[in-house]
Amino acid sequence: MLAFIVRRIIATIPVMGFVALFVFSLLYIAPGDPAAVIAGDQASPADVERIRAGLGLDRPYLVRFAEWLFRVLQGDLGTSIFTSLPVTQLIAQRIEPTVSLMVVTLLFAILIAVPMGVIAAWKANTWIDRVAMAFAVFGFSVPVFVVGYLLAYVFALKLDWFPVQGYTPLSAGFGPWLENLVLPAVTLGMVYIALIARITRASMLEVLQQDYIRTARSKGLAQPSILFIHALKNAAIPVVTVIGIGIALLIGGAVVTESVFAIPGLGRLTVDAILRRDYPVIQGVVLMFSFVYVLINLVVDIIYTLLDPRIRY
Amino acid sequence: MDRRTFVKSAGGVMLAAASGGLPAPALSQGANARTLRFVPQANLANFDPIWGTQYVVRNAAALVWDTLYGVDETLTPKRQMVESETVSPDGLVWTFKLRSGMKFHDGSPVLAKDAVQSLVRWSARDPMGLMIRALQNELVAVDDLTFRWSLKKPYPKMLLALGKNNSPCTFIMPERIAKTDPFQQITEFVGSGPMRFVRNEWVPGAKAVFEKFADYKPRDEKASWLAGGKRIMVDRIEWVIMPDPATASAALQNGEVDWWENPLSDLVPVLKANRNINVDIADPLGNIGAFRMNHLHPPFDNVKIRRAVLAAMNQEDYMRAIVGDDNNLWKPLPGFFTPGTPLYTESGGEILKMRSLDAAKKLLQEGGYSNQPVTCVVAQDLPVLKAMGEVTADLLKKMGMNVDFVATDWGTVGARRAQKTPPGQGGWNMFHTWHAGADCINPAPYTAVRGSGDKAWFGWPNSPGVEKEVENWFEASSLDDEKAAIARLNKAALEDVVFAPTGFFLTYQAWRKNVTGVTKGPLPFFWGVSKA
Repeated sequence: MLAFIVRRIIATIPVMGFVALFVFSLLYIAPGDPAAVIAGDQASPADVERIRAGLGLDRPYLVRFAEWLFRVLQGDLGTSIFTSLPVTQLIAQRIEPTVSLMVVTLLFAILIAVPMGVIAAWKANTWIDRVAMAFAVFGFSVPVFVVGYLLAYVFALKLDWFPVQGYTPLSAGFGPWLENLVLPAVTLGMVYIALIARITRASMLEVLQQDYIRTARSKGLAQPSILFIHALKNAAIPVVTVIGIGIALLIGGAVVTESVFAIPGLGRLTVDAILRRDYPVIQGVVLMFSFVYVLINLVVDIIYTLLDPRIRY
Repeated sequence: MDRRTFVKSAGGVMLAAASGGLPAPALSQGANARTLRFVPQANLANFDPIWGTQYVVRNAAALVWDTLYGVDETLTPKRQMVESETVSPDGLVWTFKLRSGMKFHDGSPVLAKDAVQSLVRWSARDPMGLMIRALQNELVAVDDLTFRWSLKKPYPKMLLALGKNNSPCTFIMPERIAKTDPFQQITEFVGSGPMRFVRNEWVPGAKAVFEKFADYKPRDEKASWLAGGKRIMVDRIEWVIMPDPATASAALQNGEVDWWENPLSDLVPVLKANRNINVDIADPLGNIGAFRMNHLHPPFDNVKIRRAVLAAMNQEDYMRAIVGDDNNLWKPLPGFFTPGTPLYTESGGEILKMRSLDAAKKLLQEGGYSNQPVTCVVAQDLPVLKAMGEVTADLLKKMGMNVDFVATDWGTVGARRAQKTPPGQGGWNMFHTWHAGADCINPAPYTAVRGSGDKAWFGWPNSPGVEKEVENWFEASSLDDEKAAIARLNKAALEDVVFAPTGFFLTYQAWRKNVTGVTKGPLPFFWGVSKA
């Protein structure tokens, strides 16, 4: 297992290299000019040109790429063109809100979706199953921002149960931290719940037809024990796969959710950087997300072995 | 059931048990009243008001850095950091004396050498500063509080240059910081203004924090825009960046923020209906909508084709697209200068009142338009520009022109408009923008109206008539002379179609009723604003 983990981590190096080259090249050919944004609307073309030169944006592609890669290999993601702050510092400032949002969403989604999928499979073709699957279709169909605005309108503006926007650090207390995350997590979790619930249901339907389930029933085991211990463990591999793949969905959804709820996270940092053409920030954030995604896939592979001892690497 | 009750009665009980009890709110009631939460027009992504000249940077900088002079609400420059000034009879030597006892936020005294170095940096970037620099013999500190600026030729607009509110303003920094190359960003944010910047709480894109500077000595006069006593009534101002207008609207209604600089006009009716919120015009100087035609390439290298577009356009179409049905928010503008200001003129503006497609088609024919594509680059991420772009595309089509509509984002427009190559090779024929009315009150900060050809603003109009009148305005010694020069300038600019003004429009600001002292102005003025 250890050898597998080491092999997989080493395998991330060429992946990250490819991502780095791809992102850098894409930004190089993309239209836009940060110098023009910095200089402001009244600036003369000569001023814009001088700012561009000052930022080193007038140098050839290969020189810029080589310099950037050299710094990245030393753990330095560069400096933001606009703020003059290190990209690592900007990411560090934003990582807590995004990780908090994703963790709460993940927990919320799994706690709702897995039981929903299990029960839907158990009660297949009944009204309970139909309601659950209708909810899943709703979760897939309604855009994240629509859900966000509706929740904010009802639960923040009308009922005043939760704040409309913002983020409170965990260091300020668990209650305020969670208070700010409830609406965003529910918003972001809708699609995720739909996805996990559907996969859980499909996987459980297959497992519930197996002979050993019939044996368990004939032994007189309680229904919850059959469903959540015997069946769910064997149905879990596709569910875990989907949860892992769904992290990418969460990262994408976080961009919108953080904007709707004004959460100062990495999603907003990315969008702001793209709109302003803050190249070092875009490159740094994309590299980081890629690395995280590769790691999550590794974790998913390891979880497979825990769920099914027959799987060996 | 309110938020606290809900949290306590529902999951809050469990959470409280898990976390050792619900913590108290971060701010007590009193502390909350001492903190003003403000939603600015844009993200404060950098904080060097000379390097980056965006309005949002200037607005924040006005809290942290003081200026030598400041314009009041009559647009008259008044002494601010300066105690007195003298000018030699020939107008060539200006001597300025600073107020004594002023301190920077790091505790060091404000000295003449700081002012001199700040002016050196400012004058490398500001259009008026560049003019003074071209006339300069010497800029030196005479003693700790006195500095002298000697010129080769008189510059009558000196005090306006030092007190104007257009970006970049003459913000005074410590000498060591002001020595930074004006094309490089400063890394220390130390000023002598009424508030200090709390750098360790700055999260670009999310929050910027300012704390009251205890050693600031406001002038005795009543505050008026950038002039007078800048008395800060709260301990702390938090700028909360909200990219989504709907979120900002909800946060204001919920009392999570206190003041919103620029509500979207679509959301204003909701805010007006809320009994806890005041809504009023933000800046009486408003904005001037515009689109620019590229004078370097066909078809707009031909003045008749440019005039054809002016003759056809109806400014009301543009303004309705921007502000909707609210008639308080717009007026037609048959000229280039801000309505309601001393130099406003409609001289030569008849062409903008024609609104005649027939006249336009005739001019197109006379100009020999041969169905060349018109590359109209339109930013879709800024609602004002998107709206104007769509009106223009429709107008050109009605005129019988061949429109190549390029829908893109502002970042791309910003880069593309600087290209002088033909439209088919990465260049352009038209783009849309707008100018703050405060920048259009006279030609000094108004780079967009200049007709200096290759050195002019994007579109590179060449209008000797405009340039001659700009010079006349700078040398004018009376308001009447200034008005006459501007009337001739306006006429020449319309004849040569330096650019196309699409109308004058205003925007709202909104604030909670427990906040008092909010004024109208070209930027949000925080002095005198208090919160109950």
